[in-house]
Amino acid sequence: MTTTSLAAEAALSPRTDSGGTPTVRSKGRIDPTYYWMVVPVLALFAFFITLPALVGVFFSLTNYAGYGDWKFIGLSNYVNIFKDPAVLQSYIFTFVFALTTTVVVNVVALAIALGLNAKIKWRTGIRTVFFIPMVLSALIVSFVFNYLFSNTLPVLAERFGVTPLATSILANENLAWLAIVLVTVWQAAPGATIIYLAGLQSVPAEVYEAADLDGAGSFRQFLSLTLPLILGYLVINVILGFKGFLGTYEIIVGLTGGGPGMATQSVAMRIFSGFTGGDYSYQMANAVIYFLITLLISVIQLRLIQRRGVSL
Amino acid sequence: MNASVPASLLSRRSLLRAAGLAGAAAILPLTGCGAGASASKQDGVTTLRFMQNKPEVVDYFNQVIKDFEALNPDIKVIQDFNEGNFVPGLVRNDPPDVVTRGFAQATADFVKKGIFADLAGLPAASTINPEMQELISSWGQYNGTETSALPFSVAAAGVIYNRDIFDANGVAVPTTWDEFVAACETFKAAGIAPIYGTYKDPWTLAQGMFDYVAGGSLDVAEFFTNLTAAGAGISTAAPESFTNNFGPALPKMLQLASYAQNGAASKNYADGNAAFAKGQAAIYLQGPWALSQLVAANPAIRLGTFPLPVTNNPDDTKARVNVDMALSITRNTPNMAAAQRFVSYLLEPDVVNTYNEKNAAFSPLKEAPAVTNPQISGLNDSIKDARYFQGAVTYFPPSVPVNNYIQSFVYGKNGDQFLSALDDEWRRVAERTAV
Repeated sequence: MTTTSLAAEAALSPRTDSGGTPTVRSKGRIDPTYYWMVVPVLALFAFFITLPALVGVFFSLTNYAGYGDWKFIGLSNYVNIFKDPAVLQSYIFTFVFALTTTVVVNVVALAIALGLNAKIKWRTGIRTVFFIPMVLSALIVSFVFNYLFSNTLPVLAERFGVTPLATSILANENLAWLAIVLVTVWQAAPGATIIYLAGLQSVPAEVYEAADLDGAGSFRQFLSLTLPLILGYLVINVILGFKGFLGTYEIIVGLTGGGPGMATQSVAMRIFSGFTGGDYSYQMANAVIYFLITLLISVIQLRLIQRRGVSL
Repeated sequence: MNASVPASLLSRRSLLRAAGLAGAAAILPLTGCGAGASASKQDGVTTLRFMQNKPEVVDYFNQVIKDFEALNPDIKVIQDFNEGNFVPGLVRNDPPDVVTRGFAQATADFVKKGIFADLAGLPAASTINPEMQELISSWGQYNGTETSALPFSVAAAGVIYNRDIFDANGVAVPTTWDEFVAACETFKAAGIAPIYGTYKDPWTLAQGMFDYVAGGSLDVAEFFTNLTAAGAGISTAAPESFTNNFGPALPKMLQLASYAQNGAASKNYADGNAAFAKGQAAIYLQGPWALSQLVAANPAIRLGTFPLPVTNNPDDTKARVNVDMALSITRNTPNMAAAQRFVSYLLEPDVVNTYNEKNAAFSPLKEAPAVTNPQISGLNDSIKDARYFQGAVTYFPPSVPVNNYIQSFVYGKNGDQFLSALDDEWRRVAERTAV
């Protein structure tokens, strides 16, 4: 018996089984090749991701500093987290940042995708230019922008008399987060644009021809045809983007380092500070709480997707 | 799928076994590490591992080790300058024999856990200036009496100034706060930025402006001793609180900030070194570590250092010091005798004084010669009279982002909010570490 026939049988079996009670299949065994594909990865994942995560949850119930003696302290770390305004502030910052960035990224990416999908000159060349930010490391991008914000922009602003920009916006506690949004959008928009382009290309040209005959303007076409037809892609972009922006770290490190003051400390930065700060168990408790929150958001989003009939 | 019973169960069990084997294979090498270092004695030659914390002085210690080995043919010393290996070494119960570390909060934690041997019995210990030894013992001693570390190099920080700009404007080194303010006004009137600020790097505000003003206005060590003793009971109203002790220092910080160049908020440490080396300001609130950078950027620059006067009594003026290198022997070393000989050699006047002279630092020996380097000799009197303090920020546990709070204060100028935030942070850390 060859493996191909086994695989074919396995692929067929759900159809033959459907409706009836499950029966013992004498020869319908699953090809071990599939196990060879899944199990090593599963073992590695469990050993390097799941196990450390569980160890982290365990230590969040102790007063472990990362080294030395420790003992169980129950839920004290969790109670203390809720009393810590610095942690609360990092949550507020992260969520406001993630929401804003998601909206801006999608608006920008959709606009770029519409432009790049139109019949314009040098389309391939322009597309390449737009996708360059995606290839660059976020850390390098943020260091470059750091220099622009701190040195180039103030000099230009001074020369042209734009006083509000004469000092770096990275040094302004109320505006620094906008700089982070800007750089994140610059870096994240190309990825979203690719997904939108794929969506736009899946829309058949006939629907636009029909709309033209009916006399619909281009804005009406966008609102009534394009947007509903690429809604699935929009949902995917929003969900993937929001999830990614909640974990924002390296762009902030490169731009402000969490400053000025405490203005741009993201949750991920607070958690990571536990490793260097001898505050391991406390920030582990923070990580567990953050994990539960993101899990909740993901579940809600998945329910929304299923209702929309889109699958990831 | 559950229906396909016996064969798949069997394979599942064998899979589990395979996973178990893989896990064991991953753990085995880790346990194997511990056995590696025991073979430190071969052919009557003892091998010592020496971990030092400053990668930039590897060459100096290579020479020292060569000289030491020539005098002690029965000992071989291996230098390791990667300080990051220290904690993993402790975890594996295989730390280096002799260690140098910068002495502050983190090293004090190791002392409290009894990681280091008692060095009080070494003859070299009695050659150390007791005031400098106090910089280490003030952090707490193991068993209340032990000497866990001996200072090797003490870095002293003050105000770096550009001698040419001072001379050109007829300004002498100020010895009181009023003179300092007058000097700044003179520079300002002459169109020179009095102070170069690099606020974008919050640590520069912390070690410079904050530590200098705090150290000059109050007894930092005593303040933190009282604060720690108060523990989790601290509130903003308590007599030990930041609010009740640091208040008078804050207006002076803001006054210093007002003398910084325009746009200080968007400059970092590297920008500051480049600009100050070009003579763009008269005063730079930085420690000796900036000196070599400044000279590298402009070899012709003439620099000096003076301690920042914070009151109008010149006798109150103090320098900020930190024990840049402190020598320790790990408690469980199998080569205690050899390690002691090596530490004694490192503390011979020739070795320790030459090191500090080369690296713009102060020797901890009682009989240390006066520093002649004009870049730091302005701090000689403060060091000689033991008028110095360890920076207030070095007492904070690393989980309190004190540098960011200081930056926030300098930008927002809200002193009450700043000090009550420090009180709150300190109380929260005390609460969760007390349990």
